[in-house]
Parts: sequence; C-alpha cells; structure tokens
Amino acid sequence: MRFALARAALVRHRPRTILATLGVAVAAAMLLDMVMMSTGMRESFRELLLSRGFQIRLAPKGTLPFDTDATIDSVSSVIAALRENPDLTTISPVLGASINVRVGNRAITSASLGVNPRVQGDYELLTGRDPLASNEIAVNEDFQRATRARFGDTIEVSIGYDPQTRSVTQTRKFVVTGRVRFLYGAANQPATAMQLATLQQMSGLARSDDASLFMIRVRDGANVESARAWIERRIPTVGVISIETAMAQVDERLSYFRQLALILGSVSLFVGFLLVTTLMTVSVNERIGEIAVMRAIGVARWHVVQQIVLEGIAISLAGAIAGLGLGLVTAKYLNAILSSFPGLPMAIDFFLFQPRAVWTALGLLAVSGMAAGVYPAWRAASLPVATTLRQEAIA
Amino acid sequence: MVAQSFALAFLLFAQHRTIAIDDKLAADLRIRIGDRVVVSARPGGAGDTVIVSGILARVADPSEVAYSQYRIRMHLDQLQHIDGYDDRVARFAVATRGEDGTERTLSSINAAAFGFEAHRSRDIAVETSRTFQVVSRFHRAIGVITIVASAIFLLCIMLLKVEERRRDVAALRMIGISRTTVAKSVVTEAAALALLGSALGVGLGWLMSLTINWHYRGVYRTSLYFSIVTPSIIAFAVALSIVLGIGAGVLASMRLVRTPPLALFGR
Repeated sequence: MRFALARAALVRHRPRTILATLGVAVAAAMLLDMVMMSTGMRESFRELLLSRGFQIRLAPKGTLPFDTDATIDSVSSVIAALRENPDLTTISPVLGASINVRVGNRAITSASLGVNPRVQGDYELLTGRDPLASNEIAVNEDFQRATRARFGDTIEVSIGYDPQTRSVTQTRKFVVTGRVRFLYGAANQPATAMQLATLQQMSGLARSDDASLFMIRVRDGANVESARAWIERRIPTVGVISIETAMAQVDERLSYFRQLALILGSVSLFVGFLLVTTLMTVSVNERIGEIAVMRAIGVARWHVVQQIVLEGIAISLAGAIAGLGLGLVTAKYLNAILSSFPGLPMAIDFFLFQPRAVWTALGLLAVSGMAAGVYPAWRAASLPVATTLRQEAIA
Repeated sequence: MVAQSFALAFLLFAQHRTIAIDDKLAADLRIRIGDRVVVSARPGGAGDTVIVSGILARVADPSEVAYSQYRIRMHLDQLQHIDGYDDRVARFAVATRGEDGTERTLSSINAAAFGFEAHRSRDIAVETSRTFQVVSRFHRAIGVITIVASAIFLLCIMLLKVEERRRDVAALRMIGISRTTVAKSVVTEAAALALLGSALGVGLGWLMSLTINWHYRGVYRTSLYFSIVTPSIIAFAVALSIVLGIGAGVLASMRLVRTPPLALFGR
C-alpha cells in the first residue's frame, strides 16, 4: 500500500520526477567519483608497491626512491648486513641513471635501471628474455619506438660526455634481448634495464658500488614492521620505507586530491539532498488536501511519514543507480586527465573502481534521501486535519 | 676594536667556506647565521665543515610546493668535491643577446654537442608547468560537471515553482493576460533567482577562497595563492548562471503556457 501510494505520487508528475532523478544522478556520479578518488590513489599505489611482493624499500636517507640523484654506497656491505636477518628473503638492489643512444644524428635520452634480473621487481618481461649477460639490455615499447631497435639489434649506449674532447664517454655496445614493461614507469618514457654491475661500471668510479634503491621481500609470516625497525637499527645511514611509511608520504604529497574529494563529495551529497528536499516539500504542499483526507479516514501518521520518506529514498536510489553508470564514465575521463601527470607511474589510477566505493556512495545517498524526506514528512504528519480540509474545500 | 672584529671574522670565514640555507631549514633546526655545520653527500659520511653565511627565503615555486625537502646553496666546486661529481654540472644557464642570439646559440650548441642539449628557458617553463596544466584540465572537467548539475537543479526548481502556481497562472490567463506576459514573468523570475543565487555564490566562493589559501599556505608553508577570485571569474560565473536561469525559465514557462487554462485549474 505504502509503496503503491509513493509510486503513484512520483508517476503523477513524471517530468518533475525525471528531472529530480537526473539531478540526483549527476550528484551521485560526482559523489561516486570523489569516493573513488579519495581511496583509489592509495589503493592503486599500495597494489603497485606490493605487485611483486617487495614490502620494504631502502632509499638514501631523507628521500623517496628515485626522488633525487642521491645513491646508497657500498651495495655489497649493505647486502651483507641485510643477509644477517633470516626474515629478509630477497634483496634486489637497483641503480638508476640516464643513458644516451645515438640514432643517426640524434641522441635519444632514456632512463635506465641496473638490476639483478633474477630477483628484480621493477619490470615484467613481455617478450624475449632478461638481460642476463653484461652486454645485454631489455627495453620498453617507448624506447623501441624512439630508437627503432628490434630484438637482436646491437645498440651503442653511452652515459658520460667529455666537453674537452667533445666526445661521449663510457660507451658500450648492447644486444637488445627483450621487451619489458616497467611497473613504475611514466607514460611515454623510454626506459631500459641492464645488469646492475654494468650500469655501475658505466656510471664511473663514484658510483661503482652504488644503488639508488634496495627492494626487500620479507618472509611470509614475519612481521614487516619488526624487519623495518631491525634494518633501521642495523643500517642507520639509509632510509627504510615500508608500505605503510610510503603510503604516509604519498598521502602527504597527494593530500590536495583527498581534500578536494572530500569537499566535492560533500557538496554533491548536499546538492542531492537539497534537490530531493525541495521536491518533496513542494510535493507535500501540493498534496496537502489529499494527505488531510487520508488522515481523516484513519490512515496513521506513521503511515503518511513512511510514504513520503519512501518517495525521497526512491528518487535518491533511482538517481544513484543512474549516477553509477555516469560516474564510471566520468571517472574514466577524469582518470585519463590525471594519469598524464608528468613522472607519475602509468600503473597508478586516481579513480580505482572498488565495490566498497559503490556501496559507500549508495549508502550515503540512501541516508541523504531518507533525511531529505524527514522535514516534508514531519510537515505532512503534523497537519491539523479539520482546518486543512476546510481550507481545501474553500479553495 | 672594529678592525679586530673584522679580522676575526675574516679568519673565521677564511678557514671554512660558507653556505646559505633556506628559512625552513633554519627554523626547523634552529640554525643561525655564523653557525658551523657539517655537510656531506651521505648520512654519516665524511663531509666539510662550513659556516652558514645566509638564510634565504624560498621562492614561491608551485612546482615544488608539495616537496618538503630543505635546500642549501653552496659553492659549485665544493658540491662537486663532496658529491664526487669531478668537474661535472647538472646544467648551464646561458644569457644571450636578443632573440637572434638565443636562436644562434641554441643551433650552435645542439649542432656541436652530443650528450647534452640546449633548451630555451621558455620551453623549460612550459615543460615544468605540465603538472599545473593537468590540474587545470582536471578542474575544468569538474567545472563542466558542476555546470550540468546546476543546470538540472535550476530547471527542476523552476519547474516546481511554475507547477506550484498553476492555478494563479490559470486565473491570469482567464482574465486576459497574454501567454507572452506570463512567459516573460516566469523568465524574469528565473533570471532574478539566478542572479540572486550567483551573488550568494560569489560571496561563498570568495569566503572559500580565503579559507583555501589560509589552509594550504599553512600546510605547505608558502606564500603562494592556491585560489584566486578575479573579476573575470566572477563575471563568467554570474553570466553563466543568468544564462542557465533564463534557459530554465524559458523551458518551464513553455510548459506552463502551452497548457490550456482550464487544464491548469485541474478541470
């Protein structure tokens, strides 16, 4: 009965109901996007960090990995120190550098990572094989596009430049052995991977035993925080970053987007609430005589309240369901914009779809719809029946 | 006495080289001019003892606003020595005479050198401002969604308002008031509503802008403006809301005047 009456009231003014639903749909789309954005970046970043199972990173003290050109020296002694802890199962040192590849008259600059291919966690092999020998190199698609290098090709790579002789230094020939996708690579960034020792030698004496970063896997069941604290005590000259500390630092840098999500999400929710409240208030004002008659023939106050609150919830939920589709489309569009941030890993999504985000948005809208119906419902339930009927009869 | 002080200062500064640090570092570590500090490329590594000779106010650079790193300025050769950089530098800044000079310099450097590349300062500025271009595009997209939501909201409100006055309008029509007059009154009302709403919105926006600047300046310890309300932005917002208001008014009034007066009465 209550559902039938609520449905009849909404269907009676079809254009108005459709418009209100549309309005709520846009607000719901925005709310969903903002809920997705507030948690999406975090979750996406966490998934990226954990994608290869490395829970701890060592970076030069006071920096985030690859934030500066600073490096950690004495790789071998750091590894030896880390090996003392049986909870640390895999240690993967990585050195980053810029390399130049000559293609005709042009010099292509590319990022390069020196890794131990057997334990690396920076790339995934798409085709071919890892660079297992000192004269082998794996490249990404952007590098191949820029240099037109194919598998088996030999390319000339250099790192230094001597302005006195106007010639490149530290030049070596490499064979391209595989195509890889760098997990932390930015869009349109040519990048390569080679053996750590090779890149260290090419980088000169000052970096002959350096690494930019260590990635560490902790044994299953071992406490990551304890392992992190142990490393901090054992090697106090490096910065030890667990997933949680990395997340805290990322949170700090991207706090603007979380705060924006909170503000815009709240505004969207408020606009949806205001729209439904206005509609329900006008609707109750229009039906004042009808409600007075219902009350006069014995329909309980609570029944009237339920009917009006149901109408509010129905509009909010219909708008929310329409808004989900709209929200996913706009999220894809907004994500495409933000993903073009310079230097940001391609794998990071600002708007990550998670069922939890949908339920949160739906829940908030249902509560807002219920709250929106409260004032008009209270107004309808507290009508003086006889006076209202007399006024309606005169009108 | 004065001469002695100068001599002492000279000896002190001659013994150790000097650096300048940023005000954030000075405030956080309570370092003052004349203090001796040790700088090294790696924590705990061998370094040089230097004297702080200056405290610099950071340039309000938007591209560095989210980075909380400290900055120090030191002599080039000293940094090269500490960091094991030999005789290398990260970049050169070259001043040229006029546009032609810049063009010639760029061509000659790029033709002669392999391993480094010359760029115009203007191009570098464009490249480093890509972050803000992305943020700006994102804000524009959010703005479009907000405009769509506002348009629907306004149309809905106008529709409700005319629906509420069906009987009044029916009475007006029956005593001979023309459809055009009724439509004009609805459109005028919608425009007035939009104008009033936009005036309130401008006030609210201005207050929010003040709050945003106050908040983010504190968070990032900078003198940058994060939100600016300019006359052109106000003019655009007010014009847009009036256009949307008139559009909503026209649609709502068309629905009203097309209905026969008796139907408006519910007969």
